[in-house]
Amino acid sequence: MGLPISHVLLVTGLLLMLVGLWGVFAHRNILRIIIGFSILNTGIHIVMVATGYVTDGTAPIIDKALPVGEAVRSAVDPIPAALVVTAIVIGFSVTAVMLSYAVRLHQARKTLSIDAFTESKW
Amino acid sequence: MVEGLIHPLNIFLLGLGGGFLIPLLYRLSKRLPAVAFWAALAGIAALSAICFWRVLEGGDAIEIETAGSLPPLAISLRFGVAEGYFAFLVNLVAVLGAWQLWRALRESYTTLLLYLILVMGINGMIMTRDLFNLFVFLEIVSVATYGLFGLGRSPAALAASFKYIMATVLASSLFLLGAALLYHVTGTLSIDEMIVRRELIAGPVGATALILVLACLVIELKPYPANGWGLDVYETAPAGVAAIVSVGVSAGVFFALLKLLPLFEPHLTLIAVSAAITFLAANLIGLRQANVQRMLGCSSVAQMGLLTMALALLSQSGVAELHMAFVIGGLFANHLFAKAGLFWLAGALGRERIRDWNVLSTGAPFVMVFAALLVAIAGLPPFPGFWAKWELVMRLAASGDHVWIAVVLLGSLLEAAYMFRWFCRAVGGQRSEDATVPALMRWRRGLMPPAACVALLLAGGVVAAGEAGAASAWLFAPLAAGAVLLAAEGLPGRGKCVLMLLLVSAVGFWLLQGVGGISGLFGALFLAGGVVIASAALYRDDARHGYYPLMAVLLLSMIALLRATTSLEFFFCWEMVTLASSFLLALSPPARRYVLQFFLFSLAAAFLLLAGFGLVAATLGTTSLSAYATAGPAAAPAFVLLAIGCLIKIGVIGVHVWLPNAHATADGDLSAIFSPLVTKVPAFGLFMVAYLATRSQVGLELAHVVGWIGMLTAAGAALLALHETDMKRMLAYSSLSQTGYIVAAIALMSHLGWVTALYLVANHLMVKGILFLTATAIIYRTGLRRLEDCGGLARRMPLTFVVSVAALVSMSGLPPLAGFGGKWLLLTAMLQKEWYGPLALGAFATLIGLLYMFRFGHALFLGPPKRELTDVREAPAALLVPQFVLLAGILLLSFFPKLFMVPVSAAIDPQFASTLVWQGMSLELIYAYWDPTRAIVIAVVIAALGWLALWLIYRGGRRPGQVPGVARFYQFYRAMLAPLQKAPVERFWGGVAIAVERGAGAARRVYTGDGQTYALQVLYYVIALYFVAIEIPKW
Repeated sequence: MGLPISHVLLVTGLLLMLVGLWGVFAHRNILRIIIGFSILNTGIHIVMVATGYVTDGTAPIIDKALPVGEAVRSAVDPIPAALVVTAIVIGFSVTAVMLSYAVRLHQARKTLSIDAFTESKW
Repeated sequence: MVEGLIHPLNIFLLGLGGGFLIPLLYRLSKRLPAVAFWAALAGIAALSAICFWRVLEGGDAIEIETAGSLPPLAISLRFGVAEGYFAFLVNLVAVLGAWQLWRALRESYTTLLLYLILVMGINGMIMTRDLFNLFVFLEIVSVATYGLFGLGRSPAALAASFKYIMATVLASSLFLLGAALLYHVTGTLSIDEMIVRRELIAGPVGATALILVLACLVIELKPYPANGWGLDVYETAPAGVAAIVSVGVSAGVFFALLKLLPLFEPHLTLIAVSAAITFLAANLIGLRQANVQRMLGCSSVAQMGLLTMALALLSQSGVAELHMAFVIGGLFANHLFAKAGLFWLAGALGRERIRDWNVLSTGAPFVMVFAALLVAIAGLPPFPGFWAKWELVMRLAASGDHVWIAVVLLGSLLEAAYMFRWFCRAVGGQRSEDATVPALMRWRRGLMPPAACVALLLAGGVVAAGEAGAASAWLFAPLAAGAVLLAAEGLPGRGKCVLMLLLVSAVGFWLLQGVGGISGLFGALFLAGGVVIASAALYRDDARHGYYPLMAVLLLSMIALLRATTSLEFFFCWEMVTLASSFLLALSPPARRYVLQFFLFSLAAAFLLLAGFGLVAATLGTTSLSAYATAGPAAAPAFVLLAIGCLIKIGVIGVHVWLPNAHATADGDLSAIFSPLVTKVPAFGLFMVAYLATRSQVGLELAHVVGWIGMLTAAGAALLALHETDMKRMLAYSSLSQTGYIVAAIALMSHLGWVTALYLVANHLMVKGILFLTATAIIYRTGLRRLEDCGGLARRMPLTFVVSVAALVSMSGLPPLAGFGGKWLLLTAMLQKEWYGPLALGAFATLIGLLYMFRFGHALFLGPPKRELTDVREAPAALLVPQFVLLAGILLLSFFPKLFMVPVSAAIDPQFASTLVWQGMSLELIYAYWDPTRAIVIAVVIAALGWLALWLIYRGGRRPGQVPGVARFYQFYRAMLAPLQKAPVERFWGGVAIAVERGAGAARRVYTGDGQTYALQVLYYVIALYFVAIEIPKW
């Protein structure tokens, strides 16, 4: 049936990563940069999930329908999904920290343009 | 029960439990979080200490399995010797850091929590054996760091934190992707399993995944040029936070790299090259920094580069694990404590700009801690970095990585340059030395943690010396003597001086037990000459803080150097001499502006020696000095390096710019130690090199070049001395000129040459000792330094006059005094060897020498008496007594040369191969055989003709109507020598300094301050790494 879903996911994820990077580098507004990082991370998460996909696989729940011996071949790899859950939590907290910095930066300079924050150099 | 508590896993229990408990306790009482924080932090440190002790005592590595399953199904951690070492040291620094940062930490319980989580996260990065878990700990550390950065309130600090966050989030995103892809290709997240299955990491996905993980770790270590975000944070964060990021977080990342290194085996060269670029560039950029913390940041980045480079190179050449552990462990501990200590000091002083640092008013403890940490960071003895760097150079030499040795030494030199420039500026303020007196025992707030670092570094240095097989009592005796005198620093000045003389005599005598041959002769000269000249310090009754301990270290290190049997011991003592003399120089306020020059040239010389020793050790397979005699022609390059090192330290013409200024501006009695005595240390080194070169039949043709260098130095320095008007600077140039003769005599590579060299060494030591003390006495009594300002002092200071004239006669090589025995012999020996060029130079130098020495005596003592000098008194007895003792030595040497010559001949004889000309002949025989009368007559005639010629030129050239006179005669020739002042040599070294500064200026243009640019640099760096790794797979 044509394109496996994992390929769709991979392409989507990689595209999202590029979009995220573009967001990080093309915008001067700190909030947009933070959104860029979020999109980049989301892209990576989708790629990670995609790597665990097994074509025509089933849910990795070992029971009578899916004995242990068969699980390796026909179940979707659950570990990337588990990793992604952790990564989402971490990404969430990092985004929170970045946003709190954005608030403080705005308080300091009344602007969110990253051009205003180039004090230390050379 | 207790046994169950002592388990490394409880580190996480304490970290996380403490973290959760702190907010709860805050609800109960505002004081409780602090108690919980310290309990948890101390618990973490104690646990790591105990567990480290256990695994060190032969216990197996503690393998920690979680969730009731085995890896790869569950996360596993390991606490072995390496993990224990890193974790324990980081936790120790964390405890000290919390102490230092306490005022800021206690303000809010969230910072306590963050600090605790940060420490736990670093422990996790060190202990985990699971790739994804490593990512989690990396993020825990990162988030905690971001939070702690919030302690910095300024907009610049906020901006820098945001740049840091952008760069590290980008890096960790790559790590996440890389880890997931590595799992995809290997089917495991367990690092150990992954290493076993590493051949599965192939193809585009595997290779990319590997590079992504590597790139993240490299980026987290802040590689040049993608490290502007790191420097900004080091600059603006509170010092305590910068310290923990610099040493703690970096330690975690470095350990992650260490444990993943087997995976990166194909890319070791890439890692080493990237680290080397970082090491050099960061140290170069450090030269241009004006902000203390940013400069420390440069050094920090550079040191992590050095560590990474050492790790990659040593694993590439398959060095035994023990050596590897020694180098990495030593460099790591050294940087950890020294850098943390320096950051904390910066925090304690609270001055951002280097130019605002004026530490003399902060008290002696502060200055001492500051100096010790700088010495440590520069990799100098006795700290662990010294031993580790030595071992690193030895290992690199053994595997033939000569370019890498050059990188290590060049980077270290640059680092020492800006670190010690900082020190020189900090102590070079206008405050008088007395400002330190009331503050002598004042312990500034915040000084305890850095002082603890120094103590730990010292302990580490002793341990490392033991591991390197050099922990002998005699090697550390000079330092111990210094410590004793430091403890007695409260005594009055003269009391300290007497104590120092007694201590040096006793310890020096003990050190010389069993030392024979040339070393024994030098030892006797150093000990006797050192004690006699150093006793002149009794003429001052001020406290001279720090002077006597350093003087004891200097004199005893010089003597200990002669006892060295391995190149490591030799180098240790050599560096101690360098350090002690540099710090002594820094004690003289007028000399402070020259300390840096002095130190850097000395260090460059030392590094050449280090490289030379490395090459010899690689050829011979041993560091034993006695084995050098068996070296074949393969060791020739090493001997060249050793010889150049000695020649730089001697200050031969071309590299002399650092020497006269330092010797002329040091305290009077200190220059009397430096110029006559300390310059003999490299002369001894050259002796050893020449001796070994002779024995090993390498590079004899090199001797001719050295002979030329020696005589060029003798002639050039003599001209400079003639041009000089400052009496001490003239003496300094004169010393250089005399040392030139010694160099040439050594280069003769014959029995006669060497007897002459030793004779000149002894004679010059005594003569120049007298003359420098004369200058000291005159400056002390009149306050004048310029020759023209004095005059007619013979009547006022008759004893000084008599002793000086005797010294001048002896130095001029006029009969009947000792210099005569040396100099004519040297010239005739050159004739014998058909070295006509050096011979002519020597004759010329001797003529010029006569001129300036006559001028010295004439301008000071004869000539028209100056009215304002009529009530000048004779020099103090404390200065006269050593002078007369030295004069007695000269007379002894002159009229009973046998007393000296017999032991000299005996010392040299057995060391010569039979091919050399004067084997076995005593000096009396030489005299008898040679009949020096003819040579002397010829020389005297030449000298007289030269005088006559000079006088006639002067008569012809002087302006009409001028009355001829001695003073005018000299003025006439001084004017002719004026171009020397702007000699190309000075311009050359000035140009080198400017070029380096410009290079530093250009290298730091990448740091635009823009967060996006920094993030883009990170991305480019990763892409560059990727393409290099793919294009050159064997890198």
